[in-house]
Amino acid sequence: MEKALPEAISPPPRGQVDFDVIRGDFPIFANSREPLHYLDSAASSHKPGCVIDSISNCYSRYYGPVHRGLYPLAESASEHYEASRQTIAHFINAQSSDQVVFTRSATEAINLVASGWAGRHLQRGDEIWVSQMEHHSNFLPWQRICRHRGARLRIIPLDSGGQLDLENAEGIFGTKSRLIAITQVSNVLGVINPIEQIVERAKQHAIPVLVDAAQSVGHMPVDVQKLDCDFLVASAHKMCGPTGIGFLYGNPQRLAETEPLLLGGGMVDEVKIDSSSWAEIPARFEAGSPDLSGAVGFAAAVEYLLGIGMQAIEQRLRELTVHAYQTLLDIDGTTLYGPENAGNRSGIISFNIDDIHPHDVAHIAAEQGVAIRAGHHCCQPLMQQLGVSSTARASFNIYNNEQDIAALGRAIEEAKRVLRG
Amino acid sequence: MSSDSVYKAVLLDHFHNPRNKGDVDGMEMVRRGSNPRCGDEIDVGISCADKVLKSVRFRGRGCSICLASASIMSECATGMGIQQARQLIVKMQQWFSDSHDDSPPSEQVAALGSLRQHPARKKCVLLAWMALNEGLNGIEEQNG
Repeated sequence: MEKALPEAISPPPRGQVDFDVIRGDFPIFANSREPLHYLDSAASSHKPGCVIDSISNCYSRYYGPVHRGLYPLAESASEHYEASRQTIAHFINAQSSDQVVFTRSATEAINLVASGWAGRHLQRGDEIWVSQMEHHSNFLPWQRICRHRGARLRIIPLDSGGQLDLENAEGIFGTKSRLIAITQVSNVLGVINPIEQIVERAKQHAIPVLVDAAQSVGHMPVDVQKLDCDFLVASAHKMCGPTGIGFLYGNPQRLAETEPLLLGGGMVDEVKIDSSSWAEIPARFEAGSPDLSGAVGFAAAVEYLLGIGMQAIEQRLRELTVHAYQTLLDIDGTTLYGPENAGNRSGIISFNIDDIHPHDVAHIAAEQGVAIRAGHHCCQPLMQQLGVSSTARASFNIYNNEQDIAALGRAIEEAKRVLRG
Repeated sequence: MSSDSVYKAVLLDHFHNPRNKGDVDGMEMVRRGSNPRCGDEIDVGISCADKVLKSVRFRGRGCSICLASASIMSECATGMGIQQARQLIVKMQQWFSDSHDDSPPSEQVAALGSLRQHPARKKCVLLAWMALNEGLNGIEEQNG
């Protein structure tokens, strides 16, 4: 049953946000014995105390089975679970909380759509479009379903600045195109893709669009009604929430067209020996005992972010990115990947240092207390386009500051000193 | 100078001044070790006489640890009998799998021990050793 949502949550007025105070909200930094310059938030973010406390409170005060009991504790557990869903729905401005399906992760949500929607609708000769910059999680499920259904996986190429080259994606809005699955923010290039324009053109041809928002939700305002997308997925752990939970947003028509990925308890209406019928949406997509503490922690993270304000967060990440980009650019021998324009970049910068393997950069940085990622970042097709096997990557979240960026600069100079002899 | 620093200096010396690095063309057996996760590729070349490794060389690309380990491997294996080299490879694998086994298989490889606390680098360390193992398999198959 559709549930009307209350008016959008208005964050408490906070005036100028003090990001030193924000950093203090994250216990990992005070608890770290060594200096911790954590620049790997695109892999996973740290959690504020309020999120950690919300999980503890759940288990110590109102934990019970969700949607399974008639006694007060079970009812309270169900209420908290559904209230968490409402919070997430508000956050992305979904029309109804029934449009938000809890999943284990963004990855699981994409697999759900690939299996449950594309698996039902793809015909031989159809096309699914992804881009060259997709994370493996928004690439492999489509590759497999295309192979199974005799469909074709098509790739939107990138221009030299790492932006989508839609002009050279011939047929993307053509008659064979059945779905466009695209990331809103690249986890390697940091580039912000023009989702609204893509959806607008796709709608003219009735082509559904799935948005991988793993790197955008929680980092900038994301409004599913404004984007007008069919599906959108994200994970809590990249946005200051707990690991093990994410969501699938789907518009009512698309969710109704989707078969569940997992079958089991809680997702059925009636089970007979020879046939069964599914529960209402979204319950039909949530087989098995729901992750109450995960949902509650996720909602606490969302409320925390709303308290700061999504525009303030977006602005802060942009400032850090501009500063870090310039710091890296000023270091002799760096190659930076992705757009030069910070306005079109989220808080992610991938780079390489001439003649130094990115694993060595990351290893020596680690010895300086600087945590960066090195590798292919689950984007091997993109690495092939960039002509490298791996890159180093620095990524930012609200707890980062100028000292973290200065430490990154020093760590790179140290890597050059040690490895160039 | 702490032992960590000594070991680091040894590894850096092998990285900056690799032993037995260069052309492997024309050697009796050449096998490649590769790690697609980071793009590292090491070709190890072996030439044998009377079941003794007369020459072990390598070429390729990789991180400093991968290349330093390849250099150390080439120094260790040169002059060893095939079975002796195989035993060393097995001991290297064990040493990097068993955190309780603290004694290095040989003094020559001791510097690599500082990397045992970094499990993510295990494959970097062992890449050239695994290519050597493949090369020894190739030689034994060739000789029946």
